[in-house]
Amino acid sequence: MSTVNESVTEVAKPKPQIKRPSPPILNRVLNFLSSVKFGVVLLCVLVLLSLLGMLIIQQNVPGFDAFYAGLTPAEKTVYGTLGFFDIYYSWYFKVILLTLSLNIILASIDRFPSAWSYIVKPKMTATRKWLLAHKLNAEVSSYADDEQKLADRISGIFKKQGLKTKIAEKDGNLYVFGESGKWNRLGAYIVHVALLTLFLGHFVALQTGFDADVNFMPGQTTSEIQLIEFNLDEVDRFAVKLPFTITATDIQQKLIDPKGSIEVFNTLDWLTRIKIDDPEYGVNYANVSLNNPFNYRGYRFFQAQTVPVGNARTMNLELTPDTAGAKPVSVDLARVQEVKLPNGTTQVRSGSATLEDGTLIEYDSFLADFVFNKDGNPDTKTGEYNNPAVVLQVTPKDGERTRVFAFTGDFADKIPVGAPKLGYKWRLKSYEKSPLAHVLSIKYDPFNGAFIAWYFGGIGLIFALSFVFFLSHKRIWALIEKEEFSEKFNIVLGGHTNRNHFGFEDKFKKVVNDLSKS
Amino acid sequence: MAQEVSAIEMQSVEINSPWKEYCPAILAVVGAFGVLLWRLQTNSFMSDEAFMMVALACYILAALFQLTNLYAPSSMAQKISLATSTLGVFFNLSSWLVRWVAAYEREIGMLREAGNPATPWMFRYIPFANLYDLSLAFAFGAGFTTLIFVNRKNFRVLAAFTLPLAALILTLARFIGSEFIDLPPVLDSYWRPIHVGVASLSYGVTLVCFAVAVVYLLKDKVKPESMAIWASVFSIGVLATISNWSVFTEFTYRAGLFVPSPSGGKPISTPFRLAIPYVGEILAVSGILLFGVIIAFLLYTYRNNLQAKQIGHILLITAFVAQIFAVVFWVNGVKTKENILSNLQAQVQKHPQQLVNAGKDTIARQNLPAKEFSAITNAQFEQAGNQYLTNAGGQMFMSLKTNPVEFAGLLTAIAGLFFVILFGFRTEILLQRLPSLESLDNLMYKTACLAFAGLAMLLITGAIWANESWGRPWGFDSKETGALIAWLTYAAFLHTRISRGWSGRSSAYFAIIGFLLVIFTYLGVSYLLPGLHSYA
Repeated sequence: MSTVNESVTEVAKPKPQIKRPSPPILNRVLNFLSSVKFGVVLLCVLVLLSLLGMLIIQQNVPGFDAFYAGLTPAEKTVYGTLGFFDIYYSWYFKVILLTLSLNIILASIDRFPSAWSYIVKPKMTATRKWLLAHKLNAEVSSYADDEQKLADRISGIFKKQGLKTKIAEKDGNLYVFGESGKWNRLGAYIVHVALLTLFLGHFVALQTGFDADVNFMPGQTTSEIQLIEFNLDEVDRFAVKLPFTITATDIQQKLIDPKGSIEVFNTLDWLTRIKIDDPEYGVNYANVSLNNPFNYRGYRFFQAQTVPVGNARTMNLELTPDTAGAKPVSVDLARVQEVKLPNGTTQVRSGSATLEDGTLIEYDSFLADFVFNKDGNPDTKTGEYNNPAVVLQVTPKDGERTRVFAFTGDFADKIPVGAPKLGYKWRLKSYEKSPLAHVLSIKYDPFNGAFIAWYFGGIGLIFALSFVFFLSHKRIWALIEKEEFSEKFNIVLGGHTNRNHFGFEDKFKKVVNDLSKS
Repeated sequence: MAQEVSAIEMQSVEINSPWKEYCPAILAVVGAFGVLLWRLQTNSFMSDEAFMMVALACYILAALFQLTNLYAPSSMAQKISLATSTLGVFFNLSSWLVRWVAAYEREIGMLREAGNPATPWMFRYIPFANLYDLSLAFAFGAGFTTLIFVNRKNFRVLAAFTLPLAALILTLARFIGSEFIDLPPVLDSYWRPIHVGVASLSYGVTLVCFAVAVVYLLKDKVKPESMAIWASVFSIGVLATISNWSVFTEFTYRAGLFVPSPSGGKPISTPFRLAIPYVGEILAVSGILLFGVIIAFLLYTYRNNLQAKQIGHILLITAFVAQIFAVVFWVNGVKTKENILSNLQAQVQKHPQQLVNAGKDTIARQNLPAKEFSAITNAQFEQAGNQYLTNAGGQMFMSLKTNPVEFAGLLTAIAGLFFVILFGFRTEILLQRLPSLESLDNLMYKTACLAFAGLAMLLITGAIWANESWGRPWGFDSKETGALIAWLTYAAFLHTRISRGWSGRSSAYFAIIGFLLVIFTYLGVSYLLPGLHSYA
């Protein structure tokens, strides 16, 4: 939508009025579509629609349900019909974005030739009147043996200011032309290319990909993920089959205070370790943590949320034999099953341990707020660590598999389930807190549209804008006029820049000062 | 060789040595890093909040000297202003840097106390975690930009407009509160300093662009009375919307209430508000006076009624004074209010609807599906409100920090009225002191270009960070959309300027709209709209 802005033009001579036939309708439509005026109108419409979308809570934003419930039936009907609850994905929003893209393309095509002419056909000569019409202009008198030597001297002064110079002759006059940053004239087009890359990449990502969630507890395997679709106050979920299976081998919550709660404010990070079993590419392991997603075959795995019900990642049990004088035994158990270590090896922690006497201890479950539910089964009353206990399956050598509870604290001595069982008093000595499950968000983007959009388009846009606004096309012309019957020359200077007028004024003044002193 | 020079239109150009021009800015920054080094050596040190308060005092002093210098030019006033604004930037940046160290030490202390040997990386503690941090950086951006141009003869005068705004931002920071937040883990990314750093710098540039635009309009002979009309409309808008519309409907102002955070961090807002005596009444009177200002100045503008002009100015000054009194009563009311629970109980007894609204707020925080939410009756909402009051009422307390957006709005309205009163005072002298229209227009364009590029960087770094954290670069979150809207406005501004030749006044109006949108994104979105940026 940008155009070349030349502030100085030749003084127009009065021309006879010629009645021109009106251009064909197609040209008029194209002119309209490529006009900056139309572009600005589209920008303003986008601003208004975005404002509307910001003020009316959108259906995928938390808090929408309460907002929607508070609307009158008429408001619901009107807003819903006009697509205001999902305005950014409405057909008219997309049409405006597409039209804006078209406007950018057409405007660029329309204006590119004139910008290109600055590169290939720079204006090197000009009349005295044209030069003096510039805001920055000066006349300097100087002496020299001949015009060529003076031109070389001026050229040297221009070069000192970082300008590339050329000497030209026209109508018997010698000109020195100096310029720098001529490629800046194409900056606006690079900006537009970057913007279109951004739009296109984002569009491709939206059209070919999807977002989904998957819930993971350690040991859980799945080859299906849940695609979420919002439809006003309804949230629909669709199962999508993956070409591989994922197993969560471990979940970990790094806490600031390991004894504190598993709330967000006490958290440094969440980590989910996954194993991908792919019939085509074999087995892969990955760590997914906040701000550290994992890419695999067009799928990106993100640490999204947790199910904040208290659980344990690792546990330390103290087993006191019920024979007099025997020393307690310490046993480490893990909820995790398989961990890929940083050195590339795989550590298998099966959630079980075997005692010296051959007793097999297997982890069953961890209950943060132990209670027997109405069916008489062990359960957790809340998600808080009010009464933590681990449920174990214990198989003595040559014995039967039996369920055992290990509680923390001395109070367990006073309750029946805390009594010694299978020859030991079972106590939960310590444990590493972790949530019940992690939720991974999965983004499928087979063509890497988002990556292309934001890394190429977005970063390209930053560079292009810096190129446009922090650099400028500076030009200075010097017309050398010889005074009759003397060795004196009159130098007429004119300067122009498309940006940074203050900086250019300093440069121009230095040129004039240097010329005056030479 | 003999020379003869006749340069046209060169007189206004001054070549300063870059060192002299940038010396104050460099000194302020180097000095602040010196303070940082000093802070790293010792534990007993001024707090970051104390540095911020000194910075605020310096900005206010510098602004006063700049404003004095507008009407009574004096090199002494100019030198004092330059020195105090340099000190302001120095203390402002020192505050931000010291806060970085303090945040690090706070959490390391917590970790060690809990027996946790982890030492997270230092960028986790960079003070870009909440609006207070951002305000410090924003004010620094504005102060630093001012120091850059304050030595340019043509633009020195602009400091009289940017320094009060920097002071206003720090005042707002004071009311937001300097408590550290427990950093949500998602913010622990190297993109945070990049993204938020770009935000604060570009917001600072938009502020300067806005100040230039206002000065341009003044220089372009836009009557201070016309400006007063818009300032009054803004002020009435603020008065009408604060305290849930109760100022004009009930002649009452009710301030928010906090309960302490269980983690010991920043207190939590409750769904209740408590009336502060006299504030609502005074604000309502001020609003009525401002209606009078609008009518009087419209009569003057369109019918050239000079008597209306005089009356308008009297009403304007009275409204301004009334708002100052309202703030004094507000602060005093918050500081001296006792027996919160009994006062609140008496209030809700008179207005039971407040219990219903509080109940709605409480239940809405549970994110119930719309069908379940709409099935809840008013009696149930009232019960929920009552339950909240019973459970948390005893812990509730008042603070100046409970309603930072309302306070910011009111302070901005007061600042706006102050400036239009100032512009109306000996306007001709003021106009003579301002740079030429062309220079102002050029500066406005230059700062708008910088702001446009900065806001683009803000959007893109934010999108890349979101892509790394949430798996989606763009989700039309309210803060994202707000930033996009501001950027599109600057895009429209630049394109109209490049291609339609719109410069001067049209550009100035665009620059003002752009800045208002930036401020809305900065403050309004964080507090008023739901979204993923609620912490910022």
